[in-house]
This record gives sequence, C-alpha cells and structure tokens, in this order.
Amino acid sequence: MTKQQKELLSERTNEHVYHCAKCGLCLDACPVYKELLVESASPRGKVQLAKHIIEGDLEISKKMEDILFSQCLLCGSCVIACPSGVKQNELFSGLRWRTAQRHGMPLAKKLFFQVLSRRWLMSTSSWFGKWVRKIFSGPAIESRIEVGNLPVSAIPPLNDKPFNAAYPEIVMPEDEIRARILYFHGCATNYVFADVGKAVVSVLTNMGVQVEIPRGQSCCGLPIFLSGDRKTAIRCITEALGLFARDDVDAVIVDCATCGSALRHEYAHILRELKDLGEDVSEDMIEKAQLLQSKVRDVSEYVAAHMDWLAAMPSRDGARKIRVAYHDPCHLMKGQGVTMQPRTILKSIPSVEYVEMEKAGTCCGGGGEFQIEFGDTSALITNRKIGYIHDANAQILATGCPGCNITIRAHLDKNKNMQVLHTIQVLQKSIDGTLDNFIDSGITAD
Amino acid sequence: MVEEKIAKELRAIAGGDGYLDSREDLLNYSYDSSVDEAMPDAVVLPNSTEQISKIMKIADREKIPVIARGAGTNLSGGSIAVKGGIVIALTRMNAIKEFSKENRYAIVEAGLVNLDFQNYAMKQGLFFPPDPSSWAVATIGGNIAENAGGPRGVKYGVTRDWILGLKAVLADGTVIQTGGVTFKNVTGVDLTSLFCGSEGLLGIVTEATLKLLPLPPFKQSLQVFYPKIDDASKTVARIIGSGIVPVALELMDRVVINVVEDAKKIGLPKDVAAMLLVMVDGIESECRNQVRLIEQICKEEGASRVAIAENETQEEALWLGRRSALGCMSQLRPNCLLEDVTVPVSNLPVMIKGIYEIATKYNLTIGVMAHAGDGNTHPMIVTDKRDKEEWERAEKAIGDIFKLAVDLGGTLSGEHGVGISKKPFMNLIYGEAEFRVLKDLKKVLDPNGILNPGKIM
Repeated sequence: MTKQQKELLSERTNEHVYHCAKCGLCLDACPVYKELLVESASPRGKVQLAKHIIEGDLEISKKMEDILFSQCLLCGSCVIACPSGVKQNELFSGLRWRTAQRHGMPLAKKLFFQVLSRRWLMSTSSWFGKWVRKIFSGPAIESRIEVGNLPVSAIPPLNDKPFNAAYPEIVMPEDEIRARILYFHGCATNYVFADVGKAVVSVLTNMGVQVEIPRGQSCCGLPIFLSGDRKTAIRCITEALGLFARDDVDAVIVDCATCGSALRHEYAHILRELKDLGEDVSEDMIEKAQLLQSKVRDVSEYVAAHMDWLAAMPSRDGARKIRVAYHDPCHLMKGQGVTMQPRTILKSIPSVEYVEMEKAGTCCGGGGEFQIEFGDTSALITNRKIGYIHDANAQILATGCPGCNITIRAHLDKNKNMQVLHTIQVLQKSIDGTLDNFIDSGITAD
Repeated sequence: MVEEKIAKELRAIAGGDGYLDSREDLLNYSYDSSVDEAMPDAVVLPNSTEQISKIMKIADREKIPVIARGAGTNLSGGSIAVKGGIVIALTRMNAIKEFSKENRYAIVEAGLVNLDFQNYAMKQGLFFPPDPSSWAVATIGGNIAENAGGPRGVKYGVTRDWILGLKAVLADGTVIQTGGVTFKNVTGVDLTSLFCGSEGLLGIVTEATLKLLPLPPFKQSLQVFYPKIDDASKTVARIIGSGIVPVALELMDRVVINVVEDAKKIGLPKDVAAMLLVMVDGIESECRNQVRLIEQICKEEGASRVAIAENETQEEALWLGRRSALGCMSQLRPNCLLEDVTVPVSNLPVMIKGIYEIATKYNLTIGVMAHAGDGNTHPMIVTDKRDKEEWERAEKAIGDIFKLAVDLGGTLSGEHGVGISKKPFMNLIYGEAEFRVLKDLKKVLDPNGILNPGKIM
C-alpha cells in the first residue's frame, strides 16, 4: 500500500476499486449515464478514475471535479445494481470531500453549509431564510426565471414559522402509550413542509405513540458531506448523535428519505473512515452512530409495521375513490430498502385506489442541488420521469422525500391537476376525512 | 496523443462533446469487462454512419488505429486499444430506424442496447433471440462483433443466426450494405456472416437488420439441485440426448451458488454441489409435458430437489441469480478470469471434472458456470492481479483448460471471442493455412491494418 493511498481515503474504501469487475451492470442503473451515454458519466467509469487517483497516477483535476459533481446524483442506484458489492457512494462521496479540499467550494454553497450546520444561526438569525430566498426566490433569481432546472414559481414557500415551534417537546397520545419515539424532522419539514411534520405527529399519536421532538436538532449533514465538506458535516453528526443516539426509546422516526439514509448508513461509515485516516474521531462516537443506525425507521416503515395500532378508517362503499400513485425516492428505495411499506399504507386506505406507476423506482433527476447546478442533465432525467408519472393518471402522487416532492411538483403539467404529498399526509388526511376536500380544493385552486 | 491538426478535423466531424481526449476520458475508454487496460489516444462518439465514414477516411490516411466499441462489456480485451489510436464509441447511435411487425424484422443502429430493443419488440409481441447475460448494457453492434450467445442459445443459436443484413464502414471509409430484409437471401456470398464475430477487424458495423420471432405463448423453468456435480452434468447430456430442445439449460456449481446467494440473498441452498436451470417454451401442453420428462430425468440422475416456476414472478426469481453471477464472483476476490470453452455436450461431464482437477493442481478457486445445454462452459478463476505468483498460476491453469477443451473436440471460445486474451492459444485451432486466409482477407479489406490491430492474430 503506497503512502498516497493511505492519505487519500481509508483502506477499507480503497479496496472497492479493486472489486469492480467492470461488468457494466451499473450503466443500466445510472440515470445520468442513460442520458449522456458517455463512460465518464457511468459509475464504472468513475470507479476506474478513483482507482487511478488512489494509485497516484491521476490528479484530482478540475475535470475530475466536474465528473464527480456534475455527472453523479449520488442516488445510490449503482450500489444496488452492483453484483460485486462495490459501494460507489462511499467512494464518490470520499472523493468529493478530497476534491472540495483541493479546489474549494463555491462561496454561496460554503456559507449555506456553515449556516445549516449551526442550528443557533438557523433559528435565531435569518441567514437560512436569506440563503433559501437567494437560491429559491427573490429578485436576483426571479430575474433569471429558473434556477438550473427548477422553475421558481413552482417552489413551495417557506413555513410561516419553523414546524417545531408549534409543538411542545413531547407530544402525548390521548390514550395508552404503546411506544416512545424520537422524531427527527430534518430541515425540509421544519422550514418548508410543516404539514408533513403535522401529519407525522398526528398519525403517530393517533396510533398511541409518544412523540418526542428533541429541541435544537438541525441538519442531518448529508447534503453537506455529499458536497465534500466533511469538516462541517462532523458538527451535524456530533449534534445529531448527542440528541438521538438513545437506547431508551423504541425508534428514531424520520420523514425524509435523505435524512433517513444519512442517519442509517452514512454516519458510521464516515466516522470510521475519518478515524482510519487519523482524524479526531472516538470509538465512542462510532458506537453511538451504530446505536442510532439500529433505531432509525422511516415513518412509512414504522407505521406499516404497526398497522393494527391505527384506528379503523371509515369504509367507502360505493363512493368515488381517489387515485394515488407512488414514486420511490432513491434515498428510500436504494438507500434504505423501503419499497413495500408506503404501498402497504396507501393500499390500506379505503378511500384510495392505488395505482402502480411504470418505473416508480427511477430517479426524479433532482438530486438536491444537482438540479440547480447542472440543470441540463437534470432536465433530461426529470422529463422522462414526469412522463411516467402522468401516464399513471393519478390524482395524487405520494412520495417520501421533500427533494423529490419539490422537483416533481415543479415539473408537473398544471392542466393535469395532480397533487404531490408525503405518504403520511395521504394517510393523515384519510384518517381526518379531509382527503376529498383537499382534492376538490386543489382542483379549483389550480 | 493525436496531432492537433487531426484532432481538429475529428472535432469538426463529431462536434464538441463528441470528441474526447482528456486523460480522464481516455482512462474511461481504456477497459472492457476483461482484466486488461490500454490507453487510446482519442475517443469519438459519432451520431451517424456518415460521420464514421469521414473518421475512417482520416484514420486511414494517417494510419491511426481505430477500435470500435459498444458498451465495453466484452470479456476478451477485444475493444481495448492495445496499439493506441481512436476509440469509436457507438453508444449514441441507438435509434430503431424501422420496425416491421408484419415482416418480423427491425433495422437498428449498432449502439442500441440489446435489452432496450427487447423491451420495445416485446410490446409488439416479438423478440430478438440473442440474450447475452450483459444484455441490459451490451449493444447490438457489440453482440454482432463478438457473435454473442446467451442462455437461450441452446434452442435459438447465437447472434449470427438472427442477422439479416448489415451496414458497415470499411477501413477506407467505404460504406457497404450486406444482406437485406428478407429471411431468404442467397444473392451473392454471405458477407453478413463474415462480419458477425469479426471483432472489429474487418469493418465497423453501424446498422443491423434483425430477424425477429413471435413471443412463445408459454414458458416454464425448472430449478434443480444436486449433491454431486457429476450427476448434474450427466443430466445435461441426457436431456439433450433425449431429443428435448430446451430454450436454456444452465449449470452453476457450489462456488457460484454460494457467491450469488451471499450477494443476492435469493434463498439458494448453500450446501448443494450444483444447480441446473432449465427453461422450455412453446405451446403450454407441450411445455408441461417436456417439464415432466425433464423432471423425471433429473430425479433418475440423482437430483435432490426440483422446483418448477408456476408464474412470471417465480420465473424472474429463478433467473435473477444467473444473470448477476459474473459480477458476484468479484465479491470473493478482486479479479475473475472468465473463460468460455465449449465442448460437445456429451463431453461436458469430463470437461467439468477436468476443470476441478486443474483447480487442485494449481491450488486455485475456480467456480464453474455453464450454458450447459450447448457445452459452453464458463470456468471462473477468482484471483487478485496484485498477487503476481498466484496470477501466474491462474494463467497456467487457463492454458491447461484450453488444451483440455480442444482435446475433447471443443473450442477455445463459444461466445466471447478471441480478442487479446485467447490470442496466444489460437494455434491450437488455426493452422498456417487458416491464418493465411484470415491475413489475406484482412489485407483486402484493411490494407493499412488500422482496424483493431493486435487482436486474434
């Protein structure tokens, strides 16, 4: 093992490059390759480049930076497809980290991540809001009409106040307590999709679950470390572990596919790799990450596992049913293996007619910031996906990721009157008996 | 490096994003699915036959090697630029130009992915029989250049059997059209077959006319487990000998079963010595009859368990493991040397026994998988190229395997082609006279020797 190898990434991560058989199965899985049809866009190609970088005969050039950031969504499709067990996501996110160290990060992005990682800045200052407005709206952007591939007018507005400000730290169910959980609500629910948070709390308490919403929680760190800024991400991880790595609760519930996959799979890997590389990470932190990992459940996963705790929903004999399709977010399907559970929930709702759309599991093309920075490539992937969604001819598209939600709703054909909701919102509205009203008002509003 | 003057010409033909020469891009076209790598000097991603013709004129004038490449899933080093030069990657030429349901043919561009075409054809009730295990990625052009086979080969043969005609660009840029759209066509010498399996040495196929079949109304698969591998290979010889023509008849040994199960967790038993996968298709009553006969033969030959798929989902589940087996082998050790020696099916039991003896002799782990129904055997040696001593033993073992196959009346390659990996052993098959014919042919079609130099001969 040469010196260079040891310095760049951990040996554990390096070993992946030698297990790529170059069989090419990842080319079929990769949404970016399928559009660009050039080998550098393929996971196999990037593994090849990673090998040469690790072996020290290829520089981390600006071209490499472009390949790592603009030709990869880090959606994890290749990881699932790879028969050799190569964890491309660990390899590529590690290289993004080293690339960002070498070439720096765009100033706006850096500022955002600093802000995101320090909740005191987020909750007491308007920095976050300012940034979001800068990216998502405001005169500067509106004059450009679109941010990458994201039309500004279709982006949901910020919550009037953060979601967690509207709830006490512990929300008790009305009757007996069947379980106690911690709720990790993430940034999207807190600042953009407060209704998702309300639905989560409502459904869980309805099921007899005590919901604890730890004060002071902030970003899961995933968008930060996927952009290569591990130093800032460590702050997020440390804070999250302090608040959520507890063995006195039954589960840690997450409503965001991305946060869930970070808590579940990325923390322990990143901490271990940094420790292997001699960074200041304790074994105790890694153990905490493993404890947290064992507790994390996506909200749809948790609800589906305890369907018998739900109060019976009124049956709908003879009445019209609402057609609902489901889109699998990459970070839920590929990142956490959660596919059946949201469908189980939707199919259990008497007022819902579930329709399985074609290619439910392909990427929406959003990829968080990807759609903003690399709009052209993103648009190719998104347009294909939107076609499948409309073909399903549903009234509601349910999904479990705020990122997919924003991307998809921004590109839907307005004339089709389709609404995008979190799976748990569909359930909550069905329990409350407001799903019909929601659909009717949605149609008239558009 | 390609001289700037020439690079400029190529860029003018293929457009800005169709000409690549950064070190990163060249590294990304330096490999296929075999273990070797070699750097090209430039990569061109053309959009049309005309562009390829123009590129060939320049390359021929400048005597620069040209290597045609599809998705780079070939297993012989066939699409690697061992002498440098220009890689022409056909991935962006992926249109279906014509689809005739009534006449059962389609004209497609060479870069079209096999499975993408299958999905299209299936919606019209038709299919293209060649089904290499890489079909989700591999291109039709690549299938033709390697004359690829696949599990369905037992009943339906290989790629060459399903090509009615080709459009190809010769070394000097001349565009030729071979064959036509009719199933019967003996007008002139069969130039179509000449290009099938020519591994990019004679020209670059840019379009192909594919012969299609109606989808069979019914198919059914069996999964059979054996405590002794010898019994499994004897079963294969008996099924084929009995006159039944299965669509596919695949064998996987204990090593492969274990690797696949570890990777995919699909419920394969890890304590068996071998597994057979058998598929039949056709009229339902006839299929069920054949399945019954096959089941009986399997049991008589010592099968410990026979499972029969009863619906599409179960069918899919049975075949999933087989398709990902090669990739799975790389979980065991970094490199997997996959060969495709082929013997007359009655000699399959001896061939497999011989492979195990060779594994013992060289102290190597060799997994065996086979398109057993046509004697096409895939010994897979797992190793680590970084371990030089073991690597040498692996190479010696391959030499022994080739010799054994030839001694048993077989051949070096059933479906992967020669490329560079089997080149040193070509003299086991070709004599002086055969080499001379090939060289003469090459001289006529490619006088400057620019098409995929360093391969086969």
